Amino acid sequence: MNAPSLTRRQGLVIGVILFGLLTLGLIIDGGRQLISDVTGVLSVSYLTSAIRLTVPIAFAAMGGIFAEKTGVINIGLEGLLIIGAFGAVASLYALSATPIGANIWLAFVLAILASTFVALLFAIVCIEFKADQIIAGLAVWLIALGFAPFASIIIWSRTSSPSVGTFSTVSIPGLAALPSIGPLFEATPPVFLLALAVPFSWYLLNRTTFGMWIEASGEDPKSLDTAGVDVRKVRYAGVLLSGVYCGIGGAGLALNTGQFVGSGDTMIDGRGWIGLTAYLIGNYNPVGAFLASFLFAGLDALQLQLQQIAGYDVSSTLVEIIPYVAVLVVLTFVGRTRMPSAAGEHYESDE
Amino acid sequence: MSPDERDRRAATGTPSSVHLDGITKRFPGVIANDDVDLEVERGTIHALIGENGAGKTTLMNVLYGLYEPTAGTVRIDGEPQTFEDPGDAMDVGIGMIHQHFMLVDTMTVAENVVLGNEPTKWGGIVTDRARANRETQALADRYGLEVEPTELIEEISVGEQQRVEILKTLYRGADILILDEPTAVLTPQEVESLFDILRELIAEGKTIIFITHKLGEALEVADEISVLRTGELVGTVDAETATREELARMMVGRDVLLEVDKPAASRGDLVLDVEDATVEDDRGVVAADSVSLGVHEGEVVGIAGVDGNGQSELIEAITGLRKLTSGTITFDGRDITTDSRRSRVSAGMAYVAEDRQKRSLVMEYELRRNGLLGRQHLRPFSDGRLIDWGATADYVDDVIEAYDVRPTDPSAKAHSLSGGNQQKFIVGREFERDPSLVIASQPTRGVDIGSIEFIHNRLLELRADGKAVLVVSSKLDEVTQLSDRLAVMYDGDLIAVVDPETVTENELGLLMAGERPEDLDLDGARIRGTPA
Repeated sequence: MNAPSLTRRQGLVIGVILFGLLTLGLIIDGGRQLISDVTGVLSVSYLTSAIRLTVPIAFAAMGGIFAEKTGVINIGLEGLLIIGAFGAVASLYALSATPIGANIWLAFVLAILASTFVALLFAIVCIEFKADQIIAGLAVWLIALGFAPFASIIIWSRTSSPSVGTFSTVSIPGLAALPSIGPLFEATPPVFLLALAVPFSWYLLNRTTFGMWIEASGEDPKSLDTAGVDVRKVRYAGVLLSGVYCGIGGAGLALNTGQFVGSGDTMIDGRGWIGLTAYLIGNYNPVGAFLASFLFAGLDALQLQLQQIAGYDVSSTLVEIIPYVAVLVVLTFVGRTRMPSAAGEHYESDE
Repeated sequence: MSPDERDRRAATGTPSSVHLDGITKRFPGVIANDDVDLEVERGTIHALIGENGAGKTTLMNVLYGLYEPTAGTVRIDGEPQTFEDPGDAMDVGIGMIHQHFMLVDTMTVAENVVLGNEPTKWGGIVTDRARANRETQALADRYGLEVEPTELIEEISVGEQQRVEILKTLYRGADILILDEPTAVLTPQEVESLFDILRELIAEGKTIIFITHKLGEALEVADEISVLRTGELVGTVDAETATREELARMMVGRDVLLEVDKPAASRGDLVLDVEDATVEDDRGVVAADSVSLGVHEGEVVGIAGVDGNGQSELIEAITGLRKLTSGTITFDGRDITTDSRRSRVSAGMAYVAEDRQKRSLVMEYELRRNGLLGRQHLRPFSDGRLIDWGATADYVDDVIEAYDVRPTDPSAKAHSLSGGNQQKFIVGREFERDPSLVIASQPTRGVDIGSIEFIHNRLLELRADGKAVLVVSSKLDEVTQLSDRLAVMYDGDLIAVVDPETVTENELGLLMAGERPEDLDLDGARIRGTPA
């Protein structure tokens, strides 16, 4: 179970994407100007906004890793993020009407519980009733996609909520005062949670006994079973963890903007799907998944800033397809992403 | 063991390590074990032999706690035991080494050894890898099992993987080790080293139960041999004094001809003519290098060689599953080099493939549909448009009966049959279609000795009927007994065609190891250098 290294693969992908973007720029608007504008945009404030955009993608990606490594492919990450986002805003809205008041941390925890509860339902359907994991995952997404705006209309009479409050920025004493990179240490709590969750997830998977069981459960559940470890429990744990992570990611996003937007693809807007591609590119390594998430979020932020600052007319749709193109490139040409052997397969003990 | 001796043992307080008393195990409609008594003494190797479906594995699953017996008791060191699950059996020191390894490919040797019983540090959360490696190494050294604790399972050989399996059970404190057909996947050298390990283990006081259907292995390594037939214990014999013939008779219930009785060949026209065939493997490496070989009517040609020397690729080229890089194949006087698989089948080429589950059967199909496979476009199974299920059912019923396939139900799915029965079914399906050429790759792999005898006789009957037969086998005795001419392949070359009557096993072994025939003291009569 040696940690898959962040080898040439990631480097190559990053190279391909940057190359693609530059080519795009050359075609659109004479490259030199673009390059100087891009470098002009790359500031610390750009970096902080890119990291903020990374939060939901990276949490979904790491959650997906935990589920899939135990052998349950969870493609419902997008749906769980929606539940997390909606849960956070709805909880905060409801709490403000109670004597407890609008406690943002309590709303955050309730959102995580909501997303974990949906993940539990998904786990029961997949593990107990042996449903097809892909179809069950799609159902999670579609149900969340329908439920959240529907509930919004019931509560607020429209698909989006009013502003309910946001996490306030936290500064790390000392570090935040540093010149130039100081603003990186001034962020909302979900960003710091992400900074902790990446090494924590890596350690959990690669150093702990539980991580070993997760690996065995996804690679060869029968071996784990004969070794006396209950495969079902490990798989439940993996799926529930994906629920917890998506809850953090979704709530983190919603409590940053302070509002739930339920129109169209909701405010999650495909970030769960991008998270899925991110962990494939990261080859099931939380660090790789984080880097891929950061890259995709960074491109998104770049696109936004270029449009605002330099007035470029790069279609956002074009930028949005980059993660999917990248994952196709990786899976087709690099081909070293290795799925857990038993992912997607049901396991039934002989006993 | 006589009742007297049993009483004496009980009186002197030295009970057998394992004592199965009247074990009966019924499944719906089947009695897998019928009142079986078995005693295994501490510090011995006990072989459990029997044909496919004789109930060996069921009996051991009872001992291992996977099945609860319908009747009877299991006693370990004299103490009656009831096992709810394999964990309970493990608690009293019983470990099973399965035929299919229970190892996680992406984890290291040591991680697999400790899985489920991990040494931990820092409050029991973190696996202590250094200690796992150290303990694995110590255990390996103690029992003479050569492994490298930090290597990944996917990077080590099958023989090494088996040693890891043994280490796993030892790590969990097993005193009684059950090995289910442990030699099935091993090379002859690996088998020898496994036997050395088993001897080392009993020297350390372990008790070993060894399930096999290979008589030679049971005689070589075991102290005592118990024979099961149709769920009943036929008897237990001392391996020192037992003979192959005696054991074969006990297993099958009648005398078995271990030697094939072969009348002289009456060779007719050339049926298959392979000329300068060069074939590449999946990686594009030349696997068979300008091989020439002919097979005549009424003749069995054998191909001997260690697995992986190009035999498989050559056969796939002849049967139309793989393209030739160069060379020609002529069948019944017609050039079929570029013909499709389907047209080769239609022309009367029968093929028993090496990998029965990948190439010969659809595991999710019942026998009836599997019986049709490959001939679904030919009469009498089809009129060219619609399948005649009546004719198919008749054919499949005949095959099942003639080849003693069990269960006899044509609507049973292929995966519900044991490997030996699958093989019998395939052989029957292919042989009974009135082919003019039969190509049989490993025709008796995984088949018990009663069925081996039957399949060999059928092959010789086909020969007597004037069919051309090409047999590839890694079992030397099989190809030497069946063949009229024996080709030896080494590293993609067909290095010699010899007369199986006169060639010695030693000479064959040297040829298979790459020795050139001209370097051996083979006289002209014994080498038949001409390929046709």
